[in-house]
Amino acid sequence: MAGTEPSFFVRHEFLIRRLHSLTGIIFGGYVCVHLFVNASIVGGAQAFQKNVLAIHSMGGILPLVEWVFIFLPILFHMFVGIGITVGMIPNNKNYPYEANWRYTLQRATGLYLFLFILWHVFQTHGWFHFDWWLNVAERWGGAQFSPYNAASSIGLIMQNMLVSLLYALGVLAAAFHLFNGVWTAGITWGIWTRPHAQANALKVCLAASVLLGAVGLSAIWGARKIGSSEESIKQAEAIENEMYTVQVEAGLIPPTEHKRAHHADSDETPELTATPASDENPTHPSDED
Amino acid sequence: MTASSTKRESFDVRILRQAAPGEPSRWETFRIPYEPNLNVISVLQKIAAMARNAEGKETTPVAWDCNCLEEVCGACTMVINGRVRQSCSALVDRLLEEHEGEIELQPMTKFPVVRDLVVDRSRMFRALEKVKAWVPVDDYYDRGAGPRESQESQEERYPLSECMTCGCCVDACPQYSKVEVERRPNESIEEHQARQAEAEKSEFLGAAPISQAMLFNRHATGAMLADDRLNALSGPGGIQVCGNAQNCVAVCPKEIPLTTSIARAGRQTTVHAIKKIFDR
Repeated sequence: MAGTEPSFFVRHEFLIRRLHSLTGIIFGGYVCVHLFVNASIVGGAQAFQKNVLAIHSMGGILPLVEWVFIFLPILFHMFVGIGITVGMIPNNKNYPYEANWRYTLQRATGLYLFLFILWHVFQTHGWFHFDWWLNVAERWGGAQFSPYNAASSIGLIMQNMLVSLLYALGVLAAAFHLFNGVWTAGITWGIWTRPHAQANALKVCLAASVLLGAVGLSAIWGARKIGSSEESIKQAEAIENEMYTVQVEAGLIPPTEHKRAHHADSDETPELTATPASDENPTHPSDED
Repeated sequence: MTASSTKRESFDVRILRQAAPGEPSRWETFRIPYEPNLNVISVLQKIAAMARNAEGKETTPVAWDCNCLEEVCGACTMVINGRVRQSCSALVDRLLEEHEGEIELQPMTKFPVVRDLVVDRSRMFRALEKVKAWVPVDDYYDRGAGPRESQESQEERYPLSECMTCGCCVDACPQYSKVEVERRPNESIEEHQARQAEAEKSEFLGAAPISQAMLFNRHATGAMLADDRLNALSGPGGIQVCGNAQNCVAVCPKEIPLTTSIARAGRQTTVHAIKKIFDR
């Protein structure tokens, strides 16, 4: 038979699927850090800003860390994941078994997270940090998060009930998708093989997903508390601006105006205590916090 | 439930019919006089004897496959009330408890239909060829006594050896898709089969062949072909396509630990892939 040469994806299917599994685990590790850091907002604006500043104190190496552990893994995982999902033939009506429901839910949450992550990174960071693009993104409701005014800016975002609900759904979907994915990865790589071992691993994974979901929801609740009144946002902003000034003066973080909140549309301008400084790394997308 | 079934006089059987490969399918209902302890095969025999549908119209007899009548050959596998299983062990009284008054029969959903409830499952057997699911001793040489087998290994392998290649595992699999190449006019059966085999070359092997590969990799003599099997399992359509829905193990009539075989195949291909990188 004169066969046609199989496609690149088919020829390297094994490697691509294993990388899909691996990138999911790597990005999953980041998601855990991300949600735990976010949950520190429950302890107030200062606690959250302290963690965000600690991440940003990495300075010039931060974009490298972000690309290796966050952006490249998730981009690969998202697009290969879409390819995998397209080929499925769900049959839960005729085969309503628990594992089969998790199979379908894994793909449904994956599709939601695909859209959610794109939207979330746009809304908070605007995807790219070119100045001209950021102007456009802000007009479209993007780039609303300011790392150096972390609690106050996320508090403003979470004032919107619909946004909060979509984030809550995103957090729960991520918690399930991650730990159900850890369970299937254990089968894929051959870590748990026997039914008893798989059942035990599933219990641990589902407990972990409930825990991570709760941590993520508490972060949303904390952000909504900060954003609940104009006064509490102002308070948070004052704390953040003070922390920024102190850290810049101590040389712990480089002064970076584009990571701060600028209320061009509000009637009052918050006092900017630091001198406007050169914008370094204006082109890297960052959503590390 | 039993009270209503003792009073029952008849029940309906809805069958998805198809005259020939590639033809459109249609539902036809038959009315069967009730008697206790029928199975689906005996119902199909009654339908063949009647050759009339529920409306009383004459119709062609429904075609089906069967062989052993004791759930060890897999020939009579079909989709009964939405679930794939053997019709010889599908008891009418139980089916009517599941769904009052009517039984629904369909051919298997992942294989080309030959006629009515008869399907062509040769993709299952081609998949067994791909993973070399045999012990390589097919010659006349005297190799002396075979290797010793431990009791433990024998107990691991026996359940896997019960597979009858019925195809329930792949029919219920949400990752396994149907591949059907239509036969061209004037094309020989061999030419058509070759085109069919080519079309399914990169498609998923399914649980049964993966499990058979694990059975023969565990066998002391069969393990001589272990690397070939692992190459096939990590090639196109191999173990990586599995989505862990685990329907296979839930529907397997022989209760073969298919998901254990799949996880073992995952482990063996992991080690095999790493070894291949360093042996290069």
